Amino acid sequence: MFSKDNKLEKFKEAETIIGASIKVKGNFNGQGDIVIEGFLEGSLKTEANVFIGEKARVNANVEASEALINGEISGNIKIKKYLAIGKTAKIMGDVQCGEISIERGASITGQILVSSENLKLSENKKNRPEEQA
Amino acid sequence: MNAYIYDDFLNKSRYRRALNRVEIRLTDLGLNGKIIRLGAIKNVKDAVQAEIKNGIKNIIAVGNNETANKVISAMISNKAYGFFQKDILFSIIPIGNNNSIAASFGIHKEEEACNILLARRIKQIDIGIAGNNIFLNKAELTSDNARININDEYSLELTRKTKVQIINLNDSPSVIYGERVDPYDNKLNLIINNKTPEATFITSDNIKISGSGEIILDESVAIPLPAEIGIIQEKINIIVGKDRSFN
Repeated sequence: MFSKDNKLEKFKEAETIIGASIKVKGNFNGQGDIVIEGFLEGSLKTEANVFIGEKARVNANVEASEALINGEISGNIKIKKYLAIGKTAKIMGDVQCGEISIERGASITGQILVSSENLKLSENKKNRPEEQA
Repeated sequence: MNAYIYDDFLNKSRYRRALNRVEIRLTDLGLNGKIIRLGAIKNVKDAVQAEIKNGIKNIIAVGNNETANKVISAMISNKAYGFFQKDILFSIIPIGNNNSIAASFGIHKEEEACNILLARRIKQIDIGIAGNNIFLNKAELTSDNARININDEYSLELTRKTKVQIINLNDSPSVIYGERVDPYDNKLNLIINNKTPEATFITSDNIKISGSGEIILDESVAIPLPAEIGIIQEKINIIVGKDRSFN
């Protein structure tokens, strides 16, 4: 989903886009890509990818397949595959992911666990043929 | 068999010439039918129900968005409609202003509408509902204090006065993410603000809006807040033009 220069590809195709002028409160569960440019409080969970914009403020635990974070997050982050943390990101919480890249200037207050097990598990799931009923 | 439902505003003399053109064109094309004038009858629902029971195949609203809204409401609130649903077609002959529904169907002028009726290009689309009122295109409001609940899972608060649109069938090329609105997906699209990065885009079939003010449906019907907005189970078969705003 993310190119090398941390630009969000297919930005306009995200299933859900929360704009900069919006405050969201509650449990946000999705199947598709989610873009947050505004304020979110509660929880954020998707089977797909999450993009947190530079001016976004997220007060929630975040779970996704891949993520690109450029804004502020207070909460734990659990990413199955690749997590990209941009230079403007400010994270207060523990981070767990399969792969990670952190740009110079990013701030993280919490533990970081990068485990290839996460990645293998998600890849195995993807490659495994569906069980017959 | 065709039933043409004329809205009561068409009684004004300034619309006489347009109606004459329509009637001549329909006769030329062999599409004559029964004319029902809303000004002369008290209950649209009863009139439409009677026509459905009589086996009418095509119901055509002659007028504007409000006419279309009234006629579709009468069709789908009809007990007989479910049974005949697959057979009955709806279309619009646009006359006067405020005809964005017809435009989204690809129908821009009254005589063009007659040709489109003859071509019978048929699509089956979703119908939105807000409170007890249906809408085809969109429900919209402008507010600085509305609270919007999505699927009873999370809520959105507006931080400044903003335009909120809940779209079933997009009628404007200027709507951001408008190309992603799908009138067949049993879902509505909530679009708040119209410029990135402020724009919000959410897909849902259950949206509750509270706060002060009112929601305008299809630019013609106003309902007060709070309101629950969704998609009804019934779909409607419409006759559309090539130049419609959806696939």
